[in-house]
Amino acid sequence: MFNPRLVLAAFATVVLAAACRPEPPPPATPEPTGPTPAEIEAQRVADSIAAAEAAKREDERQAQQAQREMEQRARAARETLGEMVYFDYDESVLTSETTDKLRAKLEVLRGCPSVRLRMEGHADERGTSEYNIALGSERAQSVSEFFTGFGLAGARFATVSYGEERPISQGSNEAAWARNRRVEFVITAGGNDLGRCQG
Amino acid sequence: MKRSSSSPRINSRKHRERWSVAHTCLPVLLTVAAPCAAAGQENETAIPGVDLHSVIEERDVPPIAIRPLAVLGEDAGLAREIEGIIARDLDYSDRFRVRDSLPAEFAGEGVQYALWEQFAVDWLVTGTIEPGTGGGLSFAVELHDIVFGSLKAKATFPLPARDHPDFRLAVHSVSDAVAEWVTGERGVAATRIVFRMQAFGETSGREIYIVDFDGENLRRLTWDRSIATSPAWSPDGMRIAYGSFKSGFPLLYELNLDDGQDRLLVPEGRGQPDMPAYHPDGNTIVFAIVGDGPEGLFTYKIRDGCCLKRLDGSRPKDVSPSFSPDGEMLILTSPRLGSATPQVYKQPAGGGDAELVSPYRYGEGGYFTDPDWSPCGDRIAFAGGIGGRRQANRFHILVADVEGGGNRLLQLTREGNNEDPSWASNCRHIVFQGTRSYGSGVFIVDTVTGRTRLLVPNVKAEDPDWSPILAENGVVR
Repeated sequence: MFNPRLVLAAFATVVLAAACRPEPPPPATPEPTGPTPAEIEAQRVADSIAAAEAAKREDERQAQQAQREMEQRARAARETLGEMVYFDYDESVLTSETTDKLRAKLEVLRGCPSVRLRMEGHADERGTSEYNIALGSERAQSVSEFFTGFGLAGARFATVSYGEERPISQGSNEAAWARNRRVEFVITAGGNDLGRCQG
Repeated sequence: MKRSSSSPRINSRKHRERWSVAHTCLPVLLTVAAPCAAAGQENETAIPGVDLHSVIEERDVPPIAIRPLAVLGEDAGLAREIEGIIARDLDYSDRFRVRDSLPAEFAGEGVQYALWEQFAVDWLVTGTIEPGTGGGLSFAVELHDIVFGSLKAKATFPLPARDHPDFRLAVHSVSDAVAEWVTGERGVAATRIVFRMQAFGETSGREIYIVDFDGENLRRLTWDRSIATSPAWSPDGMRIAYGSFKSGFPLLYELNLDDGQDRLLVPEGRGQPDMPAYHPDGNTIVFAIVGDGPEGLFTYKIRDGCCLKRLDGSRPKDVSPSFSPDGEMLILTSPRLGSATPQVYKQPAGGGDAELVSPYRYGEGGYFTDPDWSPCGDRIAFAGGIGGRRQANRFHILVADVEGGGNRLLQLTREGNNEDPSWASNCRHIVFQGTRSYGSGVFIVDTVTGRTRLLVPNVKAEDPDWSPILAENGVVR
């Protein structure tokens, strides 16, 4: 609460007191002094804490960056491995486009010996469902044989065929069929190592 | 003397009516030229290796009637239901023309043969339903020969109560007995068909379903929310073998229809087993393995739980095996001719050289799959792709003589897409999955008259398999 009368009274008191005070002595020239050993010690501690914290922050930053890079590498490797490959009608022969994709996977697999893959073969709806189980299997196996042909251990690869049972495109036209004639890749082991692998 | 067919007799009748086959261009026979360019079938590309000429096979089927059944101590609705089941069974047998709309004066005691003759029937079924033992029913049936004016046969059948789950199956078996009295050959009404399809209301997966011969009683057998494949009946009609991904990996299972128990059928071996079929002994199954490990056709003794064996002479990608009715031979699909084109082969069941059954013409090999051996042993049904293998997304149902080596073929379908044929135990009817402009479903075709009916409409069913006879003379197995 602001009371103008009280303020006025306080001002008057201050003026009167000043009028009654004697002349003060001139101030002594201050003797120049360095920091005390205690202050130096305190500064040293503070500096070293700051340095440690900075180093820690830098470490964390680097670790985070390394983590990010690892995650990026892992994600990229995962994407490379997971990319589907496609086939011609009633064929399990690898096309050049498919071979390019498989070479990229091969690089990842070479650098990551702990990674295991399951190849899932699929067929389009044409032909009978039982024959298409065999066709899907043959597609998955040509992919498996591509990898083992480059010296990778066969034990790292398993195949399964879904035939025409799991279309990703529902239509009955060439575009849908082309998307359905495929091999999908599932990482069954070593997925956590993907970011740390060489290459 | 037992008449095996009534045709000679009714040919002599002055009121004989020729029952001309529905879709008169069916069936279609290779190497037999006959005038039936009619019907203006859409001119599709031919099936490679199959030269089709049409032949009208006109059949006289005798008219038959069922007099309203008498009911003692039961409601009339029961009698109407039984009449309805039997009338439809006789119609679906493709051996009779069932007369309906009987004049009221034809009911009542006794059979006035002259009256029925004027009504132009050759055969008359009469019957009485009474309460039977154990809460069931007793059904006394008579078959009257109107032409000769005499009682041809009679018998009394036990039936379960109307609300018993086996009631309809038991009534079907009475229809089969009546058909045998007339034709000498038992009907196949007391049978069921198993198949797989996407469950109603679901957007993925395949479950096993079962349906009665007349399309009634559609039931779901598996609830795995997985992909079930290739269901097959055991020879005793009590079990169904099938493949499933329900464990996460494809394996073979057997469902016991009695107690609903499901068991792993082949607990050993590598790779992906699929397409099981029973040997007539009920102990051995044959199936295909694709994938990792040795591929080809394998047998396993399911009762003994042992003896996984790869068949000598089988090759990778041999699929869809099944036994001949004597168990001596196998029929299978294989792309072994070099190109990927699959063909149908027969092979000794113990292993050995395979022999081509489907028609193969060098340089234009067709696409032939899904063979099924007739229970009589003399014929094989399979699906043939229209056009070369590059276009083959539509198939027709074909029947070949085993001895003819694919040179004599019957084409049973002319429309849409048709796959997965399976014979009935009468060696005459075939069930298959079909797609028409109006939708997909399970169809039955008669190989004699070509008459086709829709068993289950509006379902995208696959791999139908026809059961053995499940009930005889009112008694369910």
